[in-house]
Amino acid sequence: MEVLKTIRPELLTLSQEQLNCLLPYFTVFGGTCLSIVLSVWGGLKPKWPVFLVTSLTCIIAMFLGSSSGDGTSHTLFNGMMVADAYSQFFNVIFLGAALFTIFSSFRYLDDEKLQHPEYYVLVMFAALGMMLMASALDLIVIFIALELMSLSVYILVGFRRNDRKSNEAAMKYFILGSAASAVLLYGSALIYGATGSTEIRSVLKFLQEHPQSLNPIFGLGFALVLFGFLFKVASVPFHMWMPDVYEGAPVPVTGFMTTGLKAAAFATFVRILATMGYGNGISAAIQNHLHDVLWVSCALTMLLGNFIALTQVNLKRMLAYSSIAHTGYLLLGILSGTRSELGFAPGVMYILVYAAMNLGAFVILTLLAAEGDSKLNLHDLSGVARRHPWLAFAMSVFLLSMAGIPPTAGFAAKYLVFYSAIQANEIPLAVIGVLSSAVSVYYYLRVLVYMYMKDPVGSPPVLRISLWSGLAVAAMILITIQVGVLPERMIDLAKRAVLSL
Amino acid sequence: MNISPYFFYGFGGIAIACSLLVILKRNPVASAFSLVMVFFAFAGIYALLDAHLIATLQIFVYAGAIMVLFIFVIMLLNADVPSFDLGRTHLGIRIAAGLLSVATLALFIWAFSTTQLTPPVDQFTPERIEAAGGNTQVVSELMFSEYILPFELTSVLLLAAIVGAVAIAKRKLSEGRS
Repeated sequence: MEVLKTIRPELLTLSQEQLNCLLPYFTVFGGTCLSIVLSVWGGLKPKWPVFLVTSLTCIIAMFLGSSSGDGTSHTLFNGMMVADAYSQFFNVIFLGAALFTIFSSFRYLDDEKLQHPEYYVLVMFAALGMMLMASALDLIVIFIALELMSLSVYILVGFRRNDRKSNEAAMKYFILGSAASAVLLYGSALIYGATGSTEIRSVLKFLQEHPQSLNPIFGLGFALVLFGFLFKVASVPFHMWMPDVYEGAPVPVTGFMTTGLKAAAFATFVRILATMGYGNGISAAIQNHLHDVLWVSCALTMLLGNFIALTQVNLKRMLAYSSIAHTGYLLLGILSGTRSELGFAPGVMYILVYAAMNLGAFVILTLLAAEGDSKLNLHDLSGVARRHPWLAFAMSVFLLSMAGIPPTAGFAAKYLVFYSAIQANEIPLAVIGVLSSAVSVYYYLRVLVYMYMKDPVGSPPVLRISLWSGLAVAAMILITIQVGVLPERMIDLAKRAVLSL
Repeated sequence: MNISPYFFYGFGGIAIACSLLVILKRNPVASAFSLVMVFFAFAGIYALLDAHLIATLQIFVYAGAIMVLFIFVIMLLNADVPSFDLGRTHLGIRIAAGLLSVATLALFIWAFSTTQLTPPVDQFTPERIEAAGGNTQVVSELMFSEYILPFELTSVLLLAAIVGAVAIAKRKLSEGRS
């Protein structure tokens, strides 16, 4: 009998390159720990130090993340995690989302009397969870990273403790999110039972060697994992939680959720699909089932999101439904990724573009929000353009970009997604997408009408715009217009990221 | 493999029955105690599978530490029964939920009864684990070498949970500290 070999020395050391790949993660974790210490340091007012440390950490980690890689992918920790161009691409998105969320929250938390250092720490923890999700290759690691992200966000959603709506949103999100995590975990367990491994690459290898193990149990496991992810991205049969949660959460947190959370779930989703050989065909049956499930979900998501958004008068709720609609476009990009020449690149690029424009819109909503996130109804925006021409202009750019009107980034991204859908012969879906996108123009433009063409009601206070929020808006505008006018570079980046999968 | 089916079905039955009690009992303390029973039944199943370490940990950590804390919290909060009464749900929804649950159960029974699992090539047979120094040694060695990443990440997760608990539970939060 062969003796078990449980300690493998090669797993216990990290080479220099591997250490370099891990640097962004270590930086984020180190910065987070430092801010925890700073927030309880005796005699120190934690507001500024924690704010500065967390923002600097994000900037440094972004820099390290985008400069360290040499384009090759490094497998870490026995194949549980991988650092490649794909994870780098997403790390920059997550850290950017965290950074600008922190920037836009700074003044907001003061105004709302919520200025507690834990807020920034939790944003950083969530960002770390997202980064790990996008680079994980093992179902256990994916689950833990997902929980790290979700747990931090549950708390952030309920951060306004004295507000019923915020509490209710946090409770709802926590219970439903835990149920979804349990479903995902059970699915992972079934996959492990059917294939003897939680590591995605080994699962694929086992399936290729033993085609008969593509049995109902594996199918159930895969379906449950899929449902867990569809819940996290809030695509249609699993979208119920989303509008209430988005409405109840503090505005900057909502912005963070629509960008970071969604990008993280999609990043993991695409990585699992690509690694599992979606497209190269592990099995025609699974391929077709997966395609059908995603097809239905994608069509429903685009239609329902856009049509319900039409009737909303609260901007936060409207953007929540519009975010559901954008999930549909993202699913379309993934669905058609297997059979078009650009692969998953349009979908991945859409994630980035959506993150930029949505984050920008939410930074502006944060500025507009009065005490307790009130005054975010359409008529409260009447005449904003007269008092704050620049703010109104920025909001218009983001909304036009979401509607997909050139020369903004939203147009380039939507164009690519629909183009690849047509290439992949998903004509009905492309038609649904374009039509529902046309519907969406109505509710985006309505906001513009209120801002530019209506007279203000009463005498609303003049807003103070903090330097940090201004910076965040300016950066997002820059990305939205730059990608819209010259999309080539971003497409190349997305392509490189996808190719490294 | 000395797994005795009778014990398995016994423990499994207890686990299912007690899980149902957890959600059906109106009194939160009774629910919590049913959950303790579920954990004991799980420990029994783990022991039947030769995973003695996990069985012990299950009793120590879940049935012992976590549940005792749970019950203390419930008792300290003095939550009365009516606050757990959410009122009656619509009859149609209840019927639909029941049908869906039965359908899901049927799906799972079908999947598990039709599947012939190919046992994955597994190096961790009870005999080999015995030869390598027993459950505890093998688990701890694996935890600190092959599974070091999930292990460390779990501590990060716990740290985040602690910060979150502080943020939720801190007194005088509304006044702000800065």
